[in-house]
Parts: sequence; C-alpha cells; structure tokens
Amino acid sequence: MAFEFTPDRWERFQEILSHYPPERKQAAMLPTLHLAQEQNGYISPEVMEYVAQLLDVSPAQVLDVVTFYPMFFQEPVGKYIVRVCHTLPCALCGCRKIIEHLTEKLGIGMEETTPDGKFTLLGVECLAACNQGPVMMVNEELYGNLTPEKVDEILDGLE
Amino acid sequence: MGTPKELRILYENIDLPGMYTLEVYQQHGGYKSLEKLFEIEPDALIEMVKESGLRGRGGAGFSTGLKWSFVPKDVEPKYLCANADESEPGTFSNRYILQQKPHMLIEGIIIACWALGIHTAYVYVRGEFTLGKKRLDAAIAEAYQAGLLGKNIRGTGFDLDVYTHPGAGAYICGEETGLIESLEGKRGQPRNKPPFPAVQGLFMKPTVVQNVETLSNLPFIVQNGVEWYKNLGTIYKDTPRGVDPMNTGTKLYCVSGHVERPGVYEVEMGLTVRELIEMAGGVRGGRQVKAVIPGGSSAPVLTPYELDVPCDFTCLQMNKTMLGSGGVIVMDETVNTVEALLNLMEFYAHESCGQCTPCRNGTPWVRDITRRIFEGRGKPGDVDHLIEVANMIADVDAFTWNTICVFGIAVAWPAVSFARKFRPEFEAHIREGRPVVLPVEEAVTPPEENYAWPQTIPEAVRRPTWDY
Repeated sequence: MAFEFTPDRWERFQEILSHYPPERKQAAMLPTLHLAQEQNGYISPEVMEYVAQLLDVSPAQVLDVVTFYPMFFQEPVGKYIVRVCHTLPCALCGCRKIIEHLTEKLGIGMEETTPDGKFTLLGVECLAACNQGPVMMVNEELYGNLTPEKVDEILDGLE
Repeated sequence: MGTPKELRILYENIDLPGMYTLEVYQQHGGYKSLEKLFEIEPDALIEMVKESGLRGRGGAGFSTGLKWSFVPKDVEPKYLCANADESEPGTFSNRYILQQKPHMLIEGIIIACWALGIHTAYVYVRGEFTLGKKRLDAAIAEAYQAGLLGKNIRGTGFDLDVYTHPGAGAYICGEETGLIESLEGKRGQPRNKPPFPAVQGLFMKPTVVQNVETLSNLPFIVQNGVEWYKNLGTIYKDTPRGVDPMNTGTKLYCVSGHVERPGVYEVEMGLTVRELIEMAGGVRGGRQVKAVIPGGSSAPVLTPYELDVPCDFTCLQMNKTMLGSGGVIVMDETVNTVEALLNLMEFYAHESCGQCTPCRNGTPWVRDITRRIFEGRGKPGDVDHLIEVANMIADVDAFTWNTICVFGIAVAWPAVSFARKFRPEFEAHIREGRPVVLPVEEAVTPPEENYAWPQTIPEAVRRPTWDY
C-alpha cells in the first residue's frame, strides 16, 4: 500500500525541509524518517520509497540510514515501546532486577513484542540520566529510580 | 584553603519552575550578555575566548578559542553545530540544560555565531531527549518572537537562524564528523581528518562543532569578562609539551554509580576525585571505593590509590586518563571489575559504526575475551591477549589509533586500563574458573606496578580557594 504524509505532517515536512539548503534535501533524512515513523509506526519499504522520492535520493540510501540508527524500526512494534537502560551506571544501580521483572511481567524477551501488540521491550544503551538509575523510557516519557513496584505502577497505568 | 564547594554558574537556578521559558530566564539575568556582545568586534571576541582558557567540554578538552581561530573568514556560508547528542555513559549534564535552561544554550549559540560570522546553527539533539528537544524548540520559537533570533537581531544587522535536528540513537553521532555525516542525512560514520570541520565540515563548508556545556559557558565569559573567568578553576605552570595548563571555569561533574547522592555537581576545576566523591555524599553505605571512571566510560579507570588526582583536564591527562565529558562513575567494593568491563565492551561492540576493521572486529573480540574470563572460561594468557587485541585497535601507550576516529581509543582505554589495573581480579577468574570478587586490596594491581604510576601533579599558579 502506498504511503503518504497526512496533510498536517506534509506541512511539518515542508517546515523541516526549509531548515536545510535547497540543494541539500538529504539533510532532512532523520527528521523526515521520524515523522514517517510517527505516522506509520515503523519504516516499511513503501515508506522508504516515499521518503527517497521526497528527498531526491535512492530508496537504497534511505535503507542505508534506517538500518544504521537503532530508533528506526523495520517491523511493526507495540503501542508502547519500553526502553530499559542496561549500561554500566544503571547496571551498578541494579537494572538487572528491573530487566528480569520486565521480561517476566510482559512475558517476552528483549527485542520482542507482546502478542496483543501492546508492548515492545528494548534493552538500550545509556539514556543520559545516570543520576536516576535504573531508568527506562516508555514511548517519550522517562522514568527513573525504578523498583519492580514502580515498574508495575507505570505499566499497569497504561491503557 | 577551604573544602571544595559547589559554585553554580551554568546550573544557577536550574531547578527554578519555568526556567525554560524566556520570561523567567530573562528575569534571572538571561540574555544580558547580548547588551555587551554586539559591541565586541568578532575578532576581539575570538581572542577573548582564547584568553579565557575555555576548553571543549565534550571530551577532547581542546581550546575553544584556538578552534575558532582555524575557521577561514572568507568562505561563506559557515555553520555551527551544537552537539547535544549526549550519549557517553555516565554523562547527563546536557540533558538538564536542554530541559531546564534551553535559553542559555541559545544565548551561547548567538555568541559563538557572532564571533565566527555564522548565520545558520543546528542543534543536534539526541533522539531520546524528547522533553529536552520540545523545550528547546519552544525556546527557539520564543527567541525568534522576541527578536533574539532571525533577521537583524536587535537592530545590529546580524542574522541568525537556529534549528534543532534529531538524532536517532547512535552513540557515534556524538563524534563531531559522525555528527556532520548524520546531519547530512547519512549513516553517522566519522570522516578522516584532515580536513578538519573548521575547514570543511557540514555540506563541506567551514563548521564549528561545540558541546552544549561549552556553549553555555560563553554568556558568562562575555558578561563578566575574561579576568573573572580566569579567576575560576586551576591554571598550572610548566606542563609538558602538548599539555594545556588551562582548567578555567567550572565543570559540570556528573557523578553516578555507588554514591549516596548521584547528580550533577558544578564545581571549579581543581578538586580531587576523592573530594568529588565526598561531595556526592561518599560511597553508598560507607563502603570502600574500588574503581572510579573519571570522564565518561571511555576514560581509563582509576584505582583507590589514584583518587587524589585533581579532577581537571591537565592532571587527568598527565595521569594517563582524561576528564572527558565529566562523567564520574563510582564503583564500590561489591563490584566485579571484569563484569564492569564486560558491560562497557558490550556497549562499545554495539555502538561501533562498523567502518574500520580494527574497531568493527576488534571490539567484539575484546568483548568476547572479557566475557569468557568473566564466565570462568578464561585461559592462562587471556589477560595479555585482551590487552594485546585492544592495543591493536588503538595503542594506549603511544596514544595512536588504527581507526578513523577516536572511538578506537575509547574502546582500548577502558579495556587496557581495567585489565592492567585490576589484573589480580582478572587472573583470579581464570584461576578459579568462576566469577570472583576480590577484596579491594587484593583486586588492585600494586600501585608501583601500575603503568599510570607514579602520579604527576604539576605546580599551579592559580587554584580555587573555595572561600565563598
């Protein structure tokens, strides 16, 4: 199925494009892909072709970028993306217990999505909030000083 | 001399409600520096920044004014990239600037752009900094509306556009040429240098890439003057060739790990690592300290014998580690140093951009040797093997790297320093065939056998007195 931006996203895309020199449309790649992923949930081959057309590059160049950056998904993901940090400062603060609790609670492993499509669990590198370790992000929200109880409270409160 | 105290300059009022708005920021002296700025000739401003001793806070600690002096004057357009891709494990001070004082960054950007004749600046914001980017975008919009950005700023005829640009989760985009490639819409794979970005950077035009904290120092230098700034921090004399003696200003130290009060501590540079740990409430539960990483995960680790080193650029460099990004990770006696290194090597193996063979293949190799030692599958000679492989990515003693960018040395530094400085604990894993946490005294290589020993602390011509 062909993909195209909704009218309001088309406007936002035009605004993004205006930030870069007209002969350097490719520079708009990351913000454009973020915008497309916001609409589509993930970057499908159709999205890549669309973005390639908009930015005057080949679909292969878009694929090249999509596969490099961990924040872009090539498969559908859950409604809520849980990113739990597992880098050293959080590890020192006991993130292993949080990760075990999350996998047990959600019944999935890292990089997996619950069968109902509600949660995707990702282990991520340092989120730059080490003073609040252990930390996780649920979609755009950051949560720190996690305990298993606090994780329950956060996840159970989501629709 | 008193005991070290916090001195909040960049972080002043950072917790104040609404500090991220133009109104509150201006109520507390925000944008005051612009009253002086446009009366300073750009060249004089570059000299001022050079004279102030300000050094890049992103990791390399290079003189900001000197970097600016490399930018050709006759090439148009030129670009500024503010590096807000804060991703070095253990570092989190830029996050709170973006979230709480985004206008301070904008003010710094205006100053840098005035000095360099730049009319377009991009702020490369880490993709995960959702709140920070939102606040910064709102602050930029406010600044345009107030005539602080855009055409003919304050009737000076000076034009400046500032845009944010989101990253997408790749650590390497914090490397300045990786950032530029990423901004151009490509994989964030660093470029060969030279040419340096100051000559050919973004869109092959002269570009200055500057960390958020570095830029945030500028309003205070312009506002209060060079002499004021040089009266903060530590200045050494008679440093060896290639070692910059300037450690002026305050530093946003990010203290994490096993301390009672992790957080950002803004202090004049010159306090020791031990004093910084004390400031953060000491090691949790009164335990013994076992290892401290002083400048983000890439910095060589320090043992308990090495904590009286001043936490500044000059001294940490002279003691074979670095201030780096100011991320201080404290580990207490319960830590298994092999496991800690394994954690870091997993990070680097994941984040290697894959461009250079020594890094792409060497980093997972170092990780695998570390893992097998940790899991009790290590073989005699594995510690030397680990050091040898890491040194092939980058030779830590010669300070050369076999890779395009400094990621190579960022891998080799922790690998070699952990293995050398905690060798008894590594060897115990191999000997006993299982993870072993040795008591601190037994886990650490005796200081006289430590490659970073004896410690060198040069004489200072200016030190903080903390009398406030």
